[in-house]
Amino acid sequence: MELTISGINAATSPNLHIWDWRVAMYLFLGGLSAGLAVMSSILNVRKGGSLAINERAAFTAQILVPVILSVGMIFIFLDLERKLNVFWLYLSFQPLSPMSWGSWGLLVFYPVSILFAIAAIPVENRHRLLFRQLIELADWLQQYRLHLAAANFTLGIFIGIYTGVLLNSFVARPLWNSAVLPVLFLCSALSAGAALMIMIAGQKNVKLFFTKIDIWLIASEMTLLPLFFYGQYTSSYAHRESIMPFFMFNHQYFWYALAIMLLLIILPAALVIKVLEIKEEHGDTLTPEALFKMNLSAIIVLLGGLIIRFSFVYAGQLSHL
Amino acid sequence: MPKYGMVIDQRRCVACMACVVACKKENDVPHGQFRTRVVEEVEGEFPALRMELRSELCNHCDNPPCVYNCPTGASYKRSEDGLVLLKKYRCVGCKSCLAACPYDARYINHEKGFADKCTLCEHRIKEGKSPACVATCVGGSRIFGDLDDPESLVSIVLRENHSHVLLEGAGTKPRIYYIKMYSKPE
Repeated sequence: MELTISGINAATSPNLHIWDWRVAMYLFLGGLSAGLAVMSSILNVRKGGSLAINERAAFTAQILVPVILSVGMIFIFLDLERKLNVFWLYLSFQPLSPMSWGSWGLLVFYPVSILFAIAAIPVENRHRLLFRQLIELADWLQQYRLHLAAANFTLGIFIGIYTGVLLNSFVARPLWNSAVLPVLFLCSALSAGAALMIMIAGQKNVKLFFTKIDIWLIASEMTLLPLFFYGQYTSSYAHRESIMPFFMFNHQYFWYALAIMLLLIILPAALVIKVLEIKEEHGDTLTPEALFKMNLSAIIVLLGGLIIRFSFVYAGQLSHL
Repeated sequence: MPKYGMVIDQRRCVACMACVVACKKENDVPHGQFRTRVVEEVEGEFPALRMELRSELCNHCDNPPCVYNCPTGASYKRSEDGLVLLKKYRCVGCKSCLAACPYDARYINHEKGFADKCTLCEHRIKEGKSPACVATCVGGSRIFGDLDDPESLVSIVLRENHSHVLLEGAGTKPRIYYIKMYSKPE
């Protein structure tokens, strides 16, 4: 059976590409900041906070959270067609709209992440703060550090899931309309956060601690990706068709096939490098080669997260009921 | 309270595109953009071909995903007649509604930036007129009226013919019904 839509009407069909690279970048950076917030909370709380002692990442990572989020927000702001109306997002709450949940969630996440960043500044470094009020605030927040870490952690998980739910809620786009997608995006966000933490951290034991965390997260991603594709393939015709761009090696869908091939190389490669890192006998300090391998595997993980966001954002818009 | 809907009798459509032109003129739709379209779908293999002419527009769903996904409440379902409409002043142009609509019925008005759509010419309905596409349809293919009124033409036509809605499985409960060829009940 041949099916075509022809003639003048093809020109009247709407363009399916609704969201572009700006949304993909927003989802990636939003996920990265959420993942980094979770990892920063873990670093400050785990083992009674002993990991954070004399560790520069204990506060620099948390400072990076609102910075990365702000860059991501710039991208989503650029995507809005009526930028001056953005205040309407905060004059109403739409309980069924993931974007509304996200807007309000980010409004809470921002101050919490900033307050936790201030609270995480070590006492010996607080004199560097520009304003006296900030120093006083940092001193006062010290007592709530654990509460802020918990809130930061929870909101990080929330934002990480939200980046997936934002796409998952569209019944019209079968590739996105999968319950696995938010979990996959969360895993990818946490993994990217752990990878960035490894790059920021100064101490060997902290780097290795987050390498171990990242191994589990990459393994989860490697489990979720095939599960996602299997779920789509065994679902309805529209769901099955929605994943085809990833597996049709023709010129039309070249970038999607390349994305899946890169993920098939990147994730196992990162996993293997990381497993070797923790099995290796390191001395008191990490050698330049070991540091290079750690940074390389972290960059590979970040690249994987970027590929997942870009390929899913674009491919999802090709899918249709 | 009326419950407005439309029946598209595909047996009567000749794809003259008068509805598309009338809609663009009535609603000042920008160049290259459309609130309604006529899809020509060819099935089969030559020489055994069959063509379906299908007018498509916003389905004014009773379960509208575009409304649910709108983060500002700009898209809403009007309680008095069930039309899915847009408060243009609230629209941020985030395009959630475009992604959410299974019928691709919405578009970003590239002159003004909001997520525009068919309103079933609610400004004409207010004046007691039918939508522009219905008024201009030369074949009488587009039939508009109150679905709750058993004496309205839409109710009569729906009673006397088999009809279907687009993508019923999506669960959107559309209010635009289609009558295909040879669909008279036995």
